[in-house]
Amino acid sequence: MPALFSEGFLLGLSIGFYCLSSCLPLLAPYMLAEGKAVWKFNSYIFMLFLGGRFAAYMLFALLASLAGKAGQYAMPPWLLPASMAATGLLMVYLAAARVSGGAGPCLLKKDLNPFFKRLPFALGFVTGVNICPPFAAAFIRLMEMADILKGFAYFCGFFSATSLFISPVLLGTPWLGRRANEIGRLTLLIAGLWYTALGLKGLF
Amino acid sequence: MEITASPRQRAATAGVFAALVFIPVLFFSSMIAGREISRLYALAWALFTAGAAYAINYSGRVSFYRRIFFSVSALAFLVHFKFSLFSKVFTASCFTDTPFCHIAMAPYFLNYLYQQYLALMSGGWKLWGPLTLGAAWLFLTIALGRGWCSWVCFYGGIDDGLSSLARRQLIQIDRWALKVRDLPAALLIFIMLVSLAYMLPVYCLWLCPFKITGSFLDQEGYLKGLQYGLMFFAMAAVVIGPLLTKKRIFCSFLCPFAAWQAFWGRLNPFRISAEEAKCIGCLNCVAACPMSAKSCAPGGKPEILAYCNLCGQCLEACPVRGIRYTVLGLELPAAEGVLGRLVTVECFFVFSALTLGSVFASLWAPAALRDVVKIMSH
Repeated sequence: MPALFSEGFLLGLSIGFYCLSSCLPLLAPYMLAEGKAVWKFNSYIFMLFLGGRFAAYMLFALLASLAGKAGQYAMPPWLLPASMAATGLLMVYLAAARVSGGAGPCLLKKDLNPFFKRLPFALGFVTGVNICPPFAAAFIRLMEMADILKGFAYFCGFFSATSLFISPVLLGTPWLGRRANEIGRLTLLIAGLWYTALGLKGLF
Repeated sequence: MEITASPRQRAATAGVFAALVFIPVLFFSSMIAGREISRLYALAWALFTAGAAYAINYSGRVSFYRRIFFSVSALAFLVHFKFSLFSKVFTASCFTDTPFCHIAMAPYFLNYLYQQYLALMSGGWKLWGPLTLGAAWLFLTIALGRGWCSWVCFYGGIDDGLSSLARRQLIQIDRWALKVRDLPAALLIFIMLVSLAYMLPVYCLWLCPFKITGSFLDQEGYLKGLQYGLMFFAMAAVVIGPLLTKKRIFCSFLCPFAAWQAFWGRLNPFRISAEEAKCIGCLNCVAACPMSAKSCAPGGKPEILAYCNLCGQCLEACPVRGIRYTVLGLELPAAEGVLGRLVTVECFFVFSALTLGSVFASLWAPAALRDVVKIMSH
Protein backbone atom coordinates (compact mmCIF):
# COMPACT_ATOMS: atom_id res chain seq x y z
CA MET A 1 0.00 0.00 0.00
CA PRO A 2 2.75 2.56 0.83
CA ALA A 3 4.31 1.72 -2.51
CA LEU A 4 1.10 2.60 -4.30
CA PHE A 5 0.73 5.78 -2.25
CA SER A 6 4.27 6.72 -3.32
CA GLU A 7 3.53 5.89 -6.94
CA GLY A 8 0.46 8.16 -6.93
CA PHE A 9 2.44 10.83 -5.06
CA LEU A 10 5.26 10.73 -7.59
CA LEU A 11 2.84 10.91 -10.51
CA GLY A 12 1.25 13.95 -8.86
CA LEU A 13 4.65 15.55 -8.30
CA SER A 14 5.80 14.99 -11.86
CA ILE A 15 2.74 16.44 -13.53
CA GLY A 16 1.50 18.74 -10.81
CA PHE A 17 2.05 21.81 -12.97
CA TYR A 18 -0.63 20.61 -15.38
CA CYS A 19 -2.92 20.05 -12.43
CA LEU A 20 -2.24 23.59 -11.30
CA SER A 21 -2.95 25.08 -14.72
CA SER A 22 -6.19 23.06 -14.96
CA CYS A 23 -7.41 24.01 -11.49
CA LEU A 24 -6.30 27.66 -11.42
CA PRO A 25 -9.05 29.04 -13.71
CA LEU A 26 -11.58 27.65 -11.23
CA LEU A 27 -9.88 28.10 -7.90
CA ALA A 28 -8.16 31.48 -8.33
CA PRO A 29 -11.36 33.42 -9.21
CA TYR A 30 -13.14 31.70 -6.34
CA MET A 31 -10.47 32.62 -3.80
CA LEU A 32 -10.39 36.12 -5.22
CA ALA A 33 -14.15 36.42 -4.82
CA GLU A 34 -14.39 34.86 -1.38
CA GLY A 35 -11.06 35.63 0.27
CA LYS A 36 -10.79 38.02 3.18
CA ALA A 37 -7.91 39.67 4.96
CA VAL A 38 -7.94 36.80 7.45
CA TRP A 39 -5.66 33.80 6.98
CA LYS A 40 -7.86 31.57 9.10
CA PHE A 41 -10.95 32.16 7.01
CA ASN A 42 -9.12 31.73 3.70
CA SER A 43 -7.49 28.53 4.95
CA TYR A 44 -10.88 27.26 6.03
CA ILE A 45 -12.51 27.69 2.62
CA PHE A 46 -9.39 26.33 0.94
CA MET A 47 -9.53 23.23 3.14
CA LEU A 48 -13.21 22.83 2.26
CA PHE A 49 -12.28 23.08 -1.41
CA LEU A 50 -9.58 20.44 -0.96
CA GLY A 51 -12.06 18.31 0.95
CA GLY A 52 -14.46 18.40 -1.98
CA ARG A 53 -11.64 17.55 -4.34
CA PHE A 54 -10.56 14.67 -2.14
CA ALA A 55 -14.11 13.30 -2.05
CA ALA A 56 -14.25 13.42 -5.85
CA TYR A 57 -10.91 11.62 -6.11
CA MET A 58 -12.04 8.88 -3.76
CA LEU A 59 -15.27 8.50 -5.71
CA PHE A 60 -13.27 8.14 -8.90
CA ALA A 61 -10.91 5.68 -7.25
CA LEU A 62 -13.93 3.59 -6.36
CA LEU A 63 -15.50 3.88 -9.82
CA ALA A 64 -12.23 3.19 -11.64
CA SER A 65 -11.57 0.12 -9.54
CA LEU A 66 -15.12 -1.16 -10.03
CA ALA A 67 -14.90 -0.49 -13.76
CA GLY A 68 -11.60 -2.37 -13.88
CA LYS A 69 -13.13 -5.30 -12.02
CA ALA A 70 -16.00 -5.38 -14.50
CA GLY A 71 -13.54 -5.41 -17.39
CA GLN A 72 -14.59 -1.92 -18.50
CA TYR A 73 -11.49 0.01 -19.54
CA ALA A 74 -12.97 3.16 -21.07
CA MET A 75 -14.72 6.09 -19.50
CA PRO A 76 -18.13 7.05 -20.90
CA PRO A 77 -17.58 9.85 -23.45
CA TRP A 78 -20.18 12.15 -21.91
CA LEU A 79 -18.47 12.17 -18.51
CA LEU A 80 -15.88 14.86 -19.14
CA PRO A 81 -18.18 17.40 -20.87
CA ALA A 82 -20.94 16.76 -18.34
CA SER A 83 -18.60 17.38 -15.41
CA MET A 84 -17.26 20.47 -17.13
CA ALA A 85 -20.77 21.85 -17.70
CA ALA A 86 -21.67 21.10 -14.06
CA THR A 87 -18.56 22.95 -12.89
CA GLY A 88 -19.36 25.90 -15.11
CA LEU A 89 -22.94 26.11 -13.91
CA LEU A 90 -21.88 25.95 -10.28
CA MET A 91 -19.37 28.75 -10.86
CA VAL A 92 -22.03 30.89 -12.51
CA TYR A 93 -24.35 30.18 -9.59
CA LEU A 94 -21.69 31.07 -7.02
CA ALA A 95 -20.88 34.30 -8.83
CA ALA A 96 -24.55 35.22 -9.16
CA ALA A 97 -25.52 34.28 -5.62
CA ARG A 98 -22.73 36.34 -4.16
CA VAL A 99 -24.16 39.55 -5.57
CA SER A 100 -25.09 41.86 -2.72
CA GLY A 101 -28.59 43.29 -2.49
CA GLY A 102 -28.36 46.64 -4.25
CA ALA A 103 -25.48 46.10 -6.63
CA GLY A 104 -26.61 43.42 -9.04
CA PRO A 105 -29.23 42.88 -11.70
CA CYS A 106 -32.72 42.30 -10.31
CA LEU A 107 -32.79 38.54 -10.81
CA LEU A 108 -29.76 38.15 -8.57
CA LYS A 109 -30.95 40.34 -5.73
CA LYS A 110 -32.64 37.50 -3.89
CA ASP A 111 -31.38 37.28 -0.33
CA LEU A 112 -29.92 33.80 -0.17
CA ASN A 113 -28.87 31.83 2.85
CA PRO A 114 -25.08 32.36 3.32
CA PHE A 115 -24.61 28.60 3.10
CA PHE A 116 -25.72 28.66 -0.52
CA LYS A 117 -23.62 31.69 -1.31
CA ARG A 118 -20.41 29.88 -0.44
CA LEU A 119 -19.96 26.34 -1.54
CA PRO A 120 -16.24 25.62 -1.66
CA PHE A 121 -16.78 21.93 -0.95
CA ALA A 122 -19.07 21.56 -3.96
CA LEU A 123 -16.69 23.55 -6.13
CA GLY A 124 -13.81 21.34 -5.01
CA PHE A 125 -15.89 18.28 -5.81
CA VAL A 126 -16.80 19.37 -9.34
CA THR A 127 -13.20 20.43 -9.90
CA GLY A 128 -12.13 16.97 -8.84
CA VAL A 129 -14.47 15.22 -11.25
CA ASN A 130 -13.10 17.30 -14.14
CA ILE A 131 -10.74 14.97 -15.86
CA CYS A 132 -7.48 16.64 -16.70
CA PRO A 133 -4.63 14.70 -18.43
CA PRO A 134 -2.78 13.88 -15.15
CA PHE A 135 -6.02 12.67 -13.63
CA ALA A 136 -6.77 10.50 -16.67
CA ALA A 137 -3.32 8.89 -16.36
CA ALA A 138 -4.03 8.00 -12.74
CA PHE A 139 -7.52 6.82 -13.61
CA ILE A 140 -6.28 4.36 -16.24
CA ARG A 141 -3.70 2.99 -13.79
CA LEU A 142 -6.53 2.28 -11.34
CA MET A 143 -8.60 0.53 -13.96
CA GLU A 144 -5.68 -1.78 -14.57
CA MET A 145 -5.26 -2.54 -10.84
CA ALA A 146 -9.00 -3.09 -10.29
CA ASP A 147 -8.62 -3.04 -6.50
CA ILE A 148 -10.61 -0.58 -4.43
CA LEU A 149 -8.26 -0.24 -1.45
CA LYS A 150 -5.20 0.03 -3.64
CA GLY A 151 -7.07 2.60 -5.69
CA PHE A 152 -7.74 4.69 -2.57
CA ALA A 153 -4.07 4.55 -1.59
CA TYR A 154 -2.95 5.51 -5.08
CA PHE A 155 -5.34 8.44 -5.34
CA CYS A 156 -4.48 9.60 -1.77
CA GLY A 157 -0.87 9.95 -2.91
CA PHE A 158 -1.90 11.64 -6.14
CA PHE A 159 -4.17 14.04 -4.26
CA SER A 160 -1.48 14.93 -1.69
CA ALA A 161 1.11 15.77 -4.33
CA THR A 162 -1.17 17.80 -6.59
CA SER A 163 -2.50 19.73 -3.58
CA LEU A 164 1.05 20.94 -2.95
CA PHE A 165 1.01 22.64 -6.34
CA ILE A 166 -2.37 24.22 -5.73
CA SER A 167 -1.76 25.51 -2.20
CA PRO A 168 0.31 28.61 -3.19
CA VAL A 169 -2.97 30.13 -4.33
CA LEU A 170 -3.52 30.98 -0.64
CA LEU A 171 -0.47 33.21 -0.46
CA GLY A 172 -1.98 36.32 -2.02
CA THR A 173 -5.35 36.16 -0.34
CA PRO A 174 -4.66 38.16 2.87
CA TRP A 175 -4.26 41.30 0.74
CA LEU A 176 -7.67 40.96 -0.83
CA GLY A 177 -10.09 43.81 -0.36
CA ARG A 178 -13.68 44.38 -1.33
CA ARG A 179 -12.67 45.61 -4.78
CA ALA A 180 -10.70 42.42 -5.40
CA ASN A 181 -13.72 40.40 -4.28
CA GLU A 182 -15.86 42.13 -6.90
CA ILE A 183 -13.25 41.49 -9.60
CA GLY A 184 -13.12 37.86 -8.45
CA ARG A 185 -16.88 37.55 -8.69
CA LEU A 186 -16.87 38.82 -12.26
CA THR A 187 -13.98 36.49 -13.11
CA LEU A 188 -15.87 33.59 -11.60
CA LEU A 189 -18.87 34.46 -13.74
CA ILE A 190 -16.83 34.65 -16.96
CA ALA A 191 -14.95 31.43 -16.17
CA GLY A 192 -18.25 29.72 -15.33
CA LEU A 193 -19.78 30.73 -18.65
CA TRP A 194 -16.65 29.52 -20.43
CA TYR A 195 -16.74 26.08 -18.81
CA THR A 196 -20.49 25.78 -19.31
CA ALA A 197 -20.10 26.54 -23.03
CA LEU A 198 -17.23 24.08 -23.39
CA GLY A 199 -19.16 21.39 -21.53
CA LEU A 200 -22.34 21.88 -23.53
CA LYS A 201 -20.35 21.86 -26.76
CA GLY A 202 -18.94 18.47 -25.78
CA LEU A 203 -22.34 17.10 -24.87
CA PHE A 204 -24.24 18.12 -28.01
CA MET B 1 -1.94 75.17 -16.64
CA GLU B 2 -2.92 78.70 -15.54
CA ILE B 3 -2.94 81.05 -18.50
CA THR B 4 -1.88 84.35 -17.00
CA ALA B 5 0.84 85.35 -19.49
CA SER B 6 0.28 87.55 -22.53
CA PRO B 7 -0.34 85.86 -25.93
CA ARG B 8 3.18 86.74 -27.01
CA GLN B 9 4.74 85.22 -23.90
CA ARG B 10 2.59 82.14 -24.31
CA ALA B 11 3.62 81.83 -27.95
CA ALA B 12 7.27 82.00 -26.95
CA THR B 13 6.84 79.33 -24.27
CA ALA B 14 4.84 77.13 -26.64
CA GLY B 15 7.51 77.56 -29.31
CA VAL B 16 10.24 76.39 -26.95
CA PHE B 17 8.06 73.49 -25.81
CA ALA B 18 7.34 72.46 -29.41
CA ALA B 19 11.06 72.58 -30.21
CA LEU B 20 11.83 70.40 -27.18
CA VAL B 21 9.34 67.82 -28.49
CA PHE B 22 10.43 68.17 -32.11
CA ILE B 23 14.14 67.41 -31.63
CA PRO B 24 13.93 63.94 -30.03
CA VAL B 25 10.97 62.94 -32.21
CA LEU B 26 12.85 63.91 -35.38
CA PHE B 27 15.97 62.09 -34.22
CA PHE B 28 14.28 58.80 -33.36
CA SER B 29 11.70 58.98 -36.12
CA SER B 30 14.46 59.49 -38.71
CA MET B 31 16.34 56.53 -37.31
CA ILE B 32 13.26 54.31 -37.42
CA ALA B 33 11.64 55.46 -40.66
CA GLY B 34 14.96 56.11 -42.41
CA ARG B 35 15.65 52.39 -42.52
CA GLU B 36 13.15 51.95 -45.33
CA ILE B 37 11.81 55.30 -46.56
CA SER B 38 12.90 58.89 -47.07
CA ARG B 39 13.62 60.82 -43.89
CA LEU B 40 11.38 63.59 -45.18
CA TYR B 41 8.38 61.55 -44.05
CA ALA B 42 9.88 61.36 -40.59
CA LEU B 43 10.38 65.12 -40.69
CA ALA B 44 6.73 65.64 -41.61
CA TRP B 45 5.64 63.42 -38.72
CA ALA B 46 7.93 65.24 -36.28
CA LEU B 47 6.55 68.58 -37.46
CA PHE B 48 2.99 67.36 -36.93
CA THR B 49 3.86 66.26 -33.40
CA ALA B 50 5.57 69.56 -32.70
CA GLY B 51 2.45 71.33 -33.97
CA ALA B 52 0.34 69.39 -31.49
CA ALA B 53 2.81 70.25 -28.72
CA TYR B 54 2.63 73.93 -29.62
CA ALA B 55 -1.17 73.94 -29.68
CA ILE B 56 -1.41 72.14 -26.32
CA ASN B 57 1.01 74.47 -24.62
CA TYR B 58 -0.32 77.67 -26.17
CA SER B 59 -4.00 77.00 -25.61
CA GLY B 60 -3.83 74.87 -22.47
CA ARG B 61 -6.38 72.50 -24.09
CA VAL B 62 -4.50 69.28 -23.48
CA SER B 63 -7.17 66.75 -24.37
CA PHE B 64 -8.46 68.47 -27.50
CA TYR B 65 -5.11 68.54 -29.28
CA ARG B 66 -4.00 65.24 -27.74
CA ARG B 67 -7.05 63.64 -29.30
CA ILE B 68 -6.17 65.01 -32.73
CA PHE B 69 -2.62 63.65 -32.45
CA PHE B 70 -3.82 60.34 -31.01
CA SER B 71 -6.53 59.81 -33.62
CA VAL B 72 -4.22 60.69 -36.52
CA SER B 73 -1.70 58.17 -35.19
CA ALA B 74 -4.40 55.48 -35.02
CA LEU B 75 -5.72 56.38 -38.46
CA ALA B 76 -2.18 56.11 -39.86
CA PHE B 77 -1.93 52.66 -38.31
CA LEU B 78 -5.16 51.61 -40.00
CA VAL B 79 -4.10 53.08 -43.34
CA HIS B 80 -0.74 51.35 -43.29
CA PHE B 81 -1.62 47.96 -41.82
CA LYS B 82 -5.34 47.33 -42.11
CA PHE B 83 -6.80 49.14 -45.13
CA SER B 84 -5.12 46.63 -47.46
CA LEU B 85 -7.80 44.18 -46.31
CA PHE B 86 -10.35 46.23 -48.19
CA SER B 87 -8.34 47.33 -51.21
CA LYS B 88 -5.01 46.31 -52.71
CA VAL B 89 -4.32 49.99 -53.32
CA PHE B 90 -3.36 50.21 -49.66
CA THR B 91 -0.97 47.28 -49.66
CA ALA B 92 2.07 48.34 -47.68
CA SER B 93 5.32 48.37 -49.63
CA CYS B 94 7.50 49.17 -46.61
CA PHE B 95 7.32 48.40 -42.89
CA THR B 96 5.21 45.35 -43.64
CA ASP B 97 5.64 43.75 -40.21
CA THR B 98 2.94 44.83 -37.79
CA PRO B 99 4.37 45.93 -34.42
CA PHE B 100 3.90 43.33 -31.68
CA CYS B 101 0.43 43.76 -30.22
CA HIS B 102 0.77 45.16 -26.70
CA ILE B 103 -2.78 44.13 -25.82
CA ALA B 104 -1.75 40.49 -26.25
CA MET B 105 1.17 40.95 -23.89
CA ALA B 106 -0.94 41.23 -20.74
CA PRO B 107 -3.23 38.19 -21.15
CA TYR B 108 -0.29 35.91 -21.97
CA PHE B 109 1.95 37.07 -19.18
CA LEU B 110 1.80 33.72 -17.38
CA ASN B 111 2.57 31.90 -20.63
CA TYR B 112 5.60 34.14 -21.13
CA LEU B 113 6.78 33.37 -17.64
CA TYR B 114 6.38 29.67 -18.32
CA GLN B 115 8.25 29.95 -21.63
CA GLN B 116 11.05 31.85 -19.95
CA TYR B 117 11.22 29.16 -17.30
CA LEU B 118 11.50 26.50 -20.02
CA ALA B 119 14.14 28.57 -21.83
CA LEU B 120 16.08 28.96 -18.60
CA MET B 121 15.95 25.26 -17.81
CA SER B 122 16.92 24.20 -21.33
CA GLY B 123 19.61 26.84 -21.78
CA GLY B 124 17.72 28.26 -24.77
CA TRP B 125 18.78 31.85 -24.15
CA LYS B 126 17.70 32.87 -27.65
CA LEU B 127 14.11 32.26 -26.54
CA TRP B 128 14.31 35.18 -24.14
CA GLY B 129 12.74 37.53 -26.70
CA PRO B 130 9.71 38.52 -24.63
CA LEU B 131 12.01 39.87 -21.96
CA THR B 132 13.26 42.52 -24.39
CA LEU B 133 9.68 43.48 -25.00
CA GLY B 134 9.13 43.42 -21.25
CA ALA B 135 11.99 45.85 -20.74
CA ALA B 136 10.49 48.23 -23.34
CA TRP B 137 7.13 47.97 -21.61
CA LEU B 138 8.70 48.65 -18.19
CA PHE B 139 10.41 51.77 -19.51
CA LEU B 140 7.17 53.05 -21.06
CA THR B 141 5.23 52.26 -17.91
CA ILE B 142 7.65 54.13 -15.68
CA ALA B 143 7.68 57.08 -18.07
CA LEU B 144 3.99 57.16 -18.93
CA GLY B 145 2.06 54.71 -16.77
CA ARG B 146 -1.62 54.67 -17.56
CA GLY B 147 -1.07 57.46 -20.05
CA TRP B 148 -0.28 54.75 -22.59
CA CYS B 149 -3.99 54.22 -23.23
CA SER B 150 -4.71 57.81 -24.19
CA TRP B 151 -1.46 58.92 -25.79
CA VAL B 152 0.21 55.92 -27.44
CA CYS B 153 -2.08 52.90 -28.03
CA PHE B 154 -2.95 52.77 -31.73
CA TYR B 155 -6.20 50.93 -31.03
CA GLY B 156 -7.23 53.38 -28.32
CA GLY B 157 -6.91 56.19 -30.84
CA ILE B 158 -9.75 54.71 -32.88
CA ASP B 159 -12.01 54.46 -29.85
CA ASP B 160 -11.08 57.90 -28.61
CA GLY B 161 -11.45 59.58 -31.98
CA LEU B 162 -14.87 58.06 -32.59
CA SER B 163 -16.08 59.01 -29.11
CA SER B 164 -15.53 62.66 -29.98
CA LEU B 165 -17.49 62.54 -33.23
CA ALA B 166 -20.98 62.27 -31.73
CA ARG B 167 -22.49 65.58 -30.70
CA ARG B 168 -24.31 64.16 -27.70
CA GLN B 169 -24.77 60.91 -25.83
CA LEU B 170 -27.47 58.87 -27.56
CA ILE B 171 -27.22 56.20 -24.85
CA GLN B 172 -26.56 57.11 -21.23
CA ILE B 173 -24.33 54.54 -19.58
CA ASP B 174 -23.38 56.37 -16.40
CA ARG B 175 -25.86 54.43 -14.25
CA TRP B 176 -24.40 51.02 -14.88
CA ALA B 177 -20.90 51.88 -16.08
CA LEU B 178 -19.32 51.87 -12.63
CA LYS B 179 -20.97 48.56 -11.72
CA VAL B 180 -19.14 46.75 -14.49
CA ARG B 181 -16.05 48.95 -14.54
CA ASP B 182 -13.94 46.09 -13.18
CA LEU B 183 -14.86 43.83 -16.10
CA PRO B 184 -11.51 44.31 -17.90
CA ALA B 185 -9.67 43.27 -14.74
CA ALA B 186 -11.84 40.16 -14.49
CA LEU B 187 -11.30 39.43 -18.19
CA LEU B 188 -7.57 39.87 -17.77
CA ILE B 189 -7.38 37.41 -14.86
CA PHE B 190 -9.62 34.91 -16.61
CA ILE B 191 -7.75 35.06 -19.92
CA MET B 192 -4.37 34.83 -18.18
CA LEU B 193 -5.44 31.67 -16.37
CA VAL B 194 -7.21 30.03 -19.30
CA SER B 195 -4.38 30.86 -21.71
CA LEU B 196 -1.98 29.15 -19.33
CA ALA B 197 -4.27 26.16 -18.87
CA TYR B 198 -4.82 25.60 -22.60
CA MET B 199 -1.55 27.09 -23.86
CA LEU B 200 -3.60 29.01 -26.40
CA PRO B 201 -3.85 32.71 -27.33
CA VAL B 202 -7.37 32.88 -25.90
CA TYR B 203 -7.75 36.65 -26.20
CA CYS B 204 -6.66 36.68 -29.86
CA LEU B 205 -8.92 33.75 -30.64
CA TRP B 206 -12.04 34.89 -28.89
CA LEU B 207 -12.19 38.60 -28.31
CA CYS B 208 -9.69 40.60 -30.34
CA PRO B 209 -11.66 42.95 -32.62
CA PHE B 210 -8.67 43.66 -34.83
CA LYS B 211 -7.94 40.20 -36.19
CA ILE B 212 -10.00 40.78 -39.31
CA THR B 213 -7.38 39.06 -41.38
CA GLY B 214 -8.97 35.67 -40.60
CA SER B 215 -5.91 34.32 -38.88
CA PHE B 216 -6.24 33.05 -35.31
CA LEU B 217 -9.72 31.73 -36.02
CA ASP B 218 -10.47 28.16 -35.07
CA GLN B 219 -10.97 25.75 -37.94
CA GLU B 220 -14.04 24.11 -36.44
CA GLY B 221 -17.28 25.48 -37.89
CA TYR B 222 -19.29 25.96 -34.69
CA LEU B 223 -16.43 27.55 -32.76
CA LYS B 224 -15.39 29.66 -35.70
CA GLY B 225 -18.91 31.09 -35.84
CA LEU B 226 -18.82 31.87 -32.13
CA GLN B 227 -15.42 33.50 -32.46
CA TYR B 228 -16.65 35.63 -35.34
CA GLY B 229 -19.66 36.63 -33.24
CA LEU B 230 -17.50 37.75 -30.34
CA MET B 231 -15.08 39.50 -32.68
CA PHE B 232 -17.92 41.53 -34.21
CA PHE B 233 -19.26 42.27 -30.73
CA ALA B 234 -15.86 43.62 -29.73
CA MET B 235 -15.60 45.51 -33.00
CA ALA B 236 -18.98 47.11 -32.30
CA ALA B 237 -17.60 48.13 -28.91
CA VAL B 238 -14.73 49.88 -30.68
CA VAL B 239 -16.68 51.52 -33.49
CA ILE B 240 -20.38 51.84 -32.63
CA GLY B 241 -20.15 52.06 -28.83
CA PRO B 242 -18.20 55.35 -28.77
CA LEU B 243 -20.49 56.91 -31.38
CA LEU B 244 -23.57 56.15 -29.28
CA THR B 245 -22.21 56.90 -25.83
CA LYS B 246 -19.32 59.33 -26.31
CA LYS B 247 -17.35 56.91 -24.12
CA ARG B 248 -14.45 54.63 -24.99
CA ILE B 249 -16.46 51.43 -24.64
CA PHE B 250 -13.86 48.88 -25.73
CA CYS B 251 -11.03 50.49 -23.77
CA SER B 252 -13.18 50.89 -20.65
CA PHE B 253 -14.96 47.56 -20.51
CA LEU B 254 -13.20 44.98 -22.66
CA CYS B 255 -9.50 45.77 -23.04
CA PRO B 256 -7.39 43.54 -20.77
CA PHE B 257 -4.33 45.70 -21.33
CA ALA B 258 -6.18 48.71 -19.90
CA ALA B 259 -6.69 46.75 -16.68
CA TRP B 260 -3.08 45.60 -16.72
CA GLN B 261 -1.86 49.14 -17.19
CA ALA B 262 -4.24 50.45 -14.53
CA PHE B 263 -2.52 48.11 -12.07
CA TRP B 264 1.09 48.66 -13.10
CA GLY B 265 0.56 52.32 -13.94
CA ARG B 266 1.00 53.06 -10.24
CA LEU B 267 4.72 52.79 -10.90
CA ASN B 268 4.45 56.07 -12.76
CA PRO B 269 4.30 59.20 -10.57
CA PHE B 270 2.01 61.30 -12.79
CA ARG B 271 -1.56 61.63 -11.55
CA ILE B 272 -4.72 63.58 -12.24
CA SER B 273 -5.78 65.16 -8.96
CA ALA B 274 -8.90 67.07 -7.98
CA GLU B 275 -8.78 69.88 -5.45
CA GLU B 276 -11.55 69.20 -2.98
CA ALA B 277 -11.59 72.78 -1.73
CA LYS B 278 -12.35 74.11 -5.20
CA CYS B 279 -14.86 71.44 -6.19
CA ILE B 280 -18.45 72.65 -6.52
CA GLY B 281 -19.87 69.16 -7.07
CA CYS B 282 -21.15 69.85 -10.60
CA LEU B 283 -19.91 66.40 -11.75
CA ASN B 284 -19.03 67.76 -15.19
CA CYS B 285 -15.79 65.81 -14.95
CA VAL B 286 -17.66 62.56 -14.32
CA ALA B 287 -19.79 63.12 -17.42
CA ALA B 288 -16.81 64.18 -19.52
CA CYS B 289 -14.52 61.28 -18.63
CA PRO B 290 -14.44 59.01 -21.70
CA MET B 291 -13.08 56.10 -19.64
CA SER B 292 -15.80 56.13 -16.95
CA ALA B 293 -12.93 56.45 -14.50
CA LYS B 294 -14.51 59.01 -12.18
CA SER B 295 -17.17 58.44 -9.62
CA CYS B 296 -19.07 60.63 -7.26
CA ALA B 297 -17.72 60.12 -3.74
CA PRO B 298 -19.89 60.89 -0.67
CA GLY B 299 -20.36 64.62 -0.42
CA GLY B 300 -20.57 65.07 -4.16
CA LYS B 301 -16.82 65.19 -4.66
CA PRO B 302 -15.18 63.44 -7.62
CA GLU B 303 -13.18 60.32 -6.96
CA ILE B 304 -10.55 59.45 -9.56
CA LEU B 305 -10.29 55.69 -10.11
CA ALA B 306 -7.20 53.69 -10.99
CA TYR B 307 -8.51 53.43 -14.56
CA CYS B 308 -7.87 57.13 -15.25
CA ASN B 309 -5.43 57.30 -18.14
CA LEU B 310 -4.52 60.96 -17.88
CA CYS B 311 -6.17 62.07 -21.11
CA GLY B 312 -6.91 65.50 -19.66
CA GLN B 313 -10.56 65.63 -20.72
CA CYS B 314 -11.71 66.46 -17.18
CA LEU B 315 -9.30 69.39 -16.96
CA GLU B 316 -11.21 71.14 -19.70
CA ALA B 317 -14.61 70.13 -18.29
CA CYS B 318 -14.01 71.53 -14.80
CA PRO B 319 -15.54 75.04 -14.59
CA VAL B 320 -13.36 76.06 -11.63
CA ARG B 321 -10.11 74.60 -12.96
CA GLY B 322 -9.88 72.38 -9.92
CA ILE B 323 -8.36 69.38 -11.69
CA ARG B 324 -4.67 69.24 -12.54
CA TYR B 325 -1.78 67.03 -13.46
CA THR B 326 0.33 66.33 -10.40
CA VAL B 327 3.24 64.18 -9.30
CA LEU B 328 1.80 61.87 -6.66
CA GLY B 329 -0.70 64.58 -5.79
CA LEU B 330 1.91 67.34 -5.55
CA GLU B 331 2.47 70.32 -7.83
CA LEU B 332 5.66 72.17 -8.69
CA PRO B 333 6.00 75.77 -7.47
CA ALA B 334 4.92 78.33 -10.09
CA ALA B 335 7.70 80.13 -11.96
CA GLU B 336 7.79 83.04 -14.39
CA GLY B 337 9.56 83.56 -17.70
CA VAL B 338 9.57 81.61 -20.93
CA LEU B 339 11.45 78.66 -19.47
CA GLY B 340 9.95 79.03 -16.01
CA ARG B 341 6.47 78.48 -17.37
CA LEU B 342 7.64 75.16 -18.77
CA VAL B 343 8.53 73.86 -15.33
CA THR B 344 5.10 72.48 -14.55
CA VAL B 345 3.93 68.90 -14.02
CA GLU B 346 1.63 69.23 -17.01
CA CYS B 347 4.50 70.22 -19.30
CA PHE B 348 6.66 67.33 -18.08
CA PHE B 349 3.87 64.83 -18.57
CA VAL B 350 2.78 66.13 -21.98
CA PHE B 351 6.41 66.17 -23.15
CA SER B 352 6.91 62.62 -21.97
CA ALA B 353 3.64 61.32 -23.44
CA LEU B 354 3.79 63.14 -26.75
CA THR B 355 7.44 62.29 -27.40
CA LEU B 356 7.06 58.61 -26.59
CA GLY B 357 3.75 58.35 -28.44
CA SER B 358 5.20 59.97 -31.52
CA VAL B 359 8.41 57.92 -31.51
CA PHE B 360 6.40 54.71 -31.15
CA ALA B 361 4.09 55.80 -33.98
CA SER B 362 7.16 56.28 -36.17
CA LEU B 363 6.86 52.58 -36.85
CA TRP B 364 3.89 53.30 -39.09
CA ALA B 365 2.91 57.00 -39.30
CA PRO B 366 5.65 58.16 -41.76
CA ALA B 367 5.05 54.99 -43.78
CA ALA B 368 1.30 55.71 -43.88
CA LEU B 369 2.06 59.22 -45.11
CA ARG B 370 4.17 57.70 -47.85
CA ASP B 371 1.30 55.33 -48.73
CA VAL B 372 -1.07 58.28 -49.08
CA VAL B 373 1.42 60.28 -51.17
CA LYS B 374 1.96 57.25 -53.39
CA ILE B 375 -1.78 56.72 -53.90
CA MET B 376 -2.34 60.39 -54.69
CA SER B 377 0.56 60.56 -57.11
CA HIS B 378 -0.83 57.59 -59.03
